[in-house]
Amino acid sequence: MKPHPIRVVVADDLVRSRLTVLFRLLLAIPHLVWLLIWSIGALVAAFVSWFATLAAGRSPRPLHDFLAAYVRYATHVYAYLSLAANPFPGFVGEAGSYPVDVEIDPPERQSRWKTGFRLVLAVPALVLANSLVGGFGGGGGTRTGGTGEADAPAWFDFSGGGVLLVVALLAWLACLVLARMPHGFRDFQAYALRYGAQTWGYVLLLTDRYPTSDPALPAAQPPPKPPAVRIAVEDDRRRSRLSVFFRGLLILPHAVWFLLWSIAALFAAVVSWFVTLAAGRTFVGLHRFLAAYVRYWAHIAAYFFIVANPFPGFTGTAGTYPVDLQIDPPARQSRWVTLFRLFLAFPAWLVAGGLGSVLLVVGVFGWFTGLVTGRMPEGLRNLGAYAIRYNAQAHAYLYLLTDRYPYSGPWEWARPEPEEELEPEVAAA
Amino acid sequence: MGPARARGGAGAGGRRRIARRLPLALLLAAFAAAWAAGFYLLWQSDVPSDLDLPAVEASELLSAAELEEARDYERFLRIDFLLAELTVLLVFGLYARYGDRFTRESAAGRIGTGMLLAMLGFALLWLAQLPFGLAGLWWERRHEVSEQDYGTWILESWLGLGGAFLFVCLAILIVMGLAGPLRDHWWIPGGAVFVGLAVLFAFVLPYMLPSQEPLRDPGLLAATERFARDQGLEEAPPVRVQEVREFTTAPNAEAAGLGPSRRVILWDTLLDGRFADAEIRVVLAHELGHLSREHIWKLVGWYALFAFPGAFLIARATRRRGGMREAESVPLALFVLVGLSFLALPLQNAFSRHLEAEADWVALETTRDPEAAQALFRSFGTTALADPSPPTWSYVLMETHPALAERVAMAEAWEARAER
Repeated sequence: MKPHPIRVVVADDLVRSRLTVLFRLLLAIPHLVWLLIWSIGALVAAFVSWFATLAAGRSPRPLHDFLAAYVRYATHVYAYLSLAANPFPGFVGEAGSYPVDVEIDPPERQSRWKTGFRLVLAVPALVLANSLVGGFGGGGGTRTGGTGEADAPAWFDFSGGGVLLVVALLAWLACLVLARMPHGFRDFQAYALRYGAQTWGYVLLLTDRYPTSDPALPAAQPPPKPPAVRIAVEDDRRRSRLSVFFRGLLILPHAVWFLLWSIAALFAAVVSWFVTLAAGRTFVGLHRFLAAYVRYWAHIAAYFFIVANPFPGFTGTAGTYPVDLQIDPPARQSRWVTLFRLFLAFPAWLVAGGLGSVLLVVGVFGWFTGLVTGRMPEGLRNLGAYAIRYNAQAHAYLYLLTDRYPYSGPWEWARPEPEEELEPEVAAA
Repeated sequence: MGPARARGGAGAGGRRRIARRLPLALLLAAFAAAWAAGFYLLWQSDVPSDLDLPAVEASELLSAAELEEARDYERFLRIDFLLAELTVLLVFGLYARYGDRFTRESAAGRIGTGMLLAMLGFALLWLAQLPFGLAGLWWERRHEVSEQDYGTWILESWLGLGGAFLFVCLAILIVMGLAGPLRDHWWIPGGAVFVGLAVLFAFVLPYMLPSQEPLRDPGLLAATERFARDQGLEEAPPVRVQEVREFTTAPNAEAAGLGPSRRVILWDTLLDGRFADAEIRVVLAHELGHLSREHIWKLVGWYALFAFPGAFLIARATRRRGGMREAESVPLALFVLVGLSFLALPLQNAFSRHLEAEADWVALETTRDPEAAQALFRSFGTTALADPSPPTWSYVLMETHPALAERVAMAEAWEARAER
């Protein structure tokens, strides 16, 4: 398949300056003002471009370049704000000038039908972009930023929530302490920014190719240490329309069973906590019980959110479901990490919550798509699987299955290849 | 082998066969006797067996216009009901034939897959019955019997389907769980478990009905105390008023619960001024009659009479598909269950009418006010648009209460008997 005409290119070394991180939001104020002004111009340009594309079947080159620069600039500003990149960006959205950059192909022929109904067609992408990046769905005007420190322009508004904001806040703390951006956070942000850029490229008529939510296109780098909880997807994307239609009710027996199991799992986790604190590792039986519980959660989440098709079993047995978890056997765990597990798990649960809302969007769109086409789009399916994997890792961390922290980068579909420092990773998302 | 010896061998084989089948035959005979005894006991009633009901014409109860409206109203609902029932049979018939294909939609074990197949069966049924339900609602709204909007109705129906899913999963868990170790004999403990569940359901039902408030009318409360005493109840059960006027204008009441959960529930449409206090007292006495004559227990007993043979027939019918151990049998089991329920409908309705007639009789004995009873039954013709004398097929298949003409006739018969 041809690569998407809008691609994010990452050439970031993960190093962050503590001083600029501390004042990042304030430092961004001139960019936010300029972005607001530019947004007004982009709105007018997009309006003209719509008529021109409708008439000529392609966007005029000057307008295309102007809007491409706008999308590129907005992505630079967002990358700067969310700490996905370190340097202060330029004001013109120059290509190749920033570590998190956007490549945009020259104008191509576009379908007049898709152009005519562009705004309507863009609604699902805008909703998903909003849940990933937050604020992408906003209209004109300004809103108070989510951090309460400044007002942000609404088109590329930083205020609407979204996982990017949660990750940015956590990254802010991490960068202040470590002077380095966690790899997983940066890769997630690059992915979210790529989807945002593609969405706005679509809305602003830079292309008629629909944004792809697939974290696998292209995949991010694998994490430095292999996670103890991994997801395995063997789903053929076929969906039974009948079971999709009634999915919300078919899950009910599982919901009841999961609730009962959760009570037992809570007690098992408390026992496991004491055991791990005392012995440095948990009992095999407890580990197996809690691993089955977490796996069962992943199975029913995949079923409920249309990430998989078959009705799952009730036992959380490994290898029985097309969206499955591979969980490592019990290993030694740090007693310090065990002692403070509940507090340490909190940031991961924030991210998990954000990805949970993304999963909900995936489920809603998957429901409609599955019902109409009998299939699940690959991008949505993979995004759902990624969100389930992160949530499962957060569960596994909390339930003491591992002391390895959940990894937020969408790396699942990465091909093993040697990583070279500072080599551009095409869309490290 | 000579012919005489062959005859002797055949005779011995026949005797062995008879000896082998004798215990089963005796067991079946004992079961049939127990069934007949149970039926006889449940059919006992306070209504005198020699009661001679006078002929009451529908035209004596309602004016020509009222009668026409009630008949017109019920005619549509009857056809709607019949079509819906036929659709149920058709859907489950097709599902029994093709439903096992959905096993490939499951990654669960045999019981989980059985649950999925059962839920999908009910899901298909819900879809197929939706138009009939909506048509019925449209008709009720048109005649101002229902005031529920379509969206709320669909939502409630959808949520109800969720409840049905949970129940059917529990049923499949029990049946398939028992069929694992017991194979074709699951129906013996299975029938007992289902009767137990029926008792549990009868007990908790009053707590599940929404929007209940205690009855506050002192006169009606005093009447309740008096009637309960007269009917031999140790203490008067609580009387609750259920708010339904948002959805319907039809009057109704019910007795529900077992032991400590027993109560009488009056719909607030009964207390909106359309009915005189004497008529409401008849309703109270009727519902208390259900409780004093243990009708809820009788209904459970009636259910037990059918639960065991029904479970046995399902076990037999599904044997060729591997029995209820196998998930593939579930669609066929559903079809058999629905078919048997349809066949049992006339008997079920007859028993229900029998109990209602007894409650009417007890109410007449308690209130000793046949005029109020007759006025109440007549007003059902105008407020609930009930046909006083429905066609026989509809009476047999649909009516859980005696026809209004029969109820008025019973009040007249009681009066005549009391004057003697």
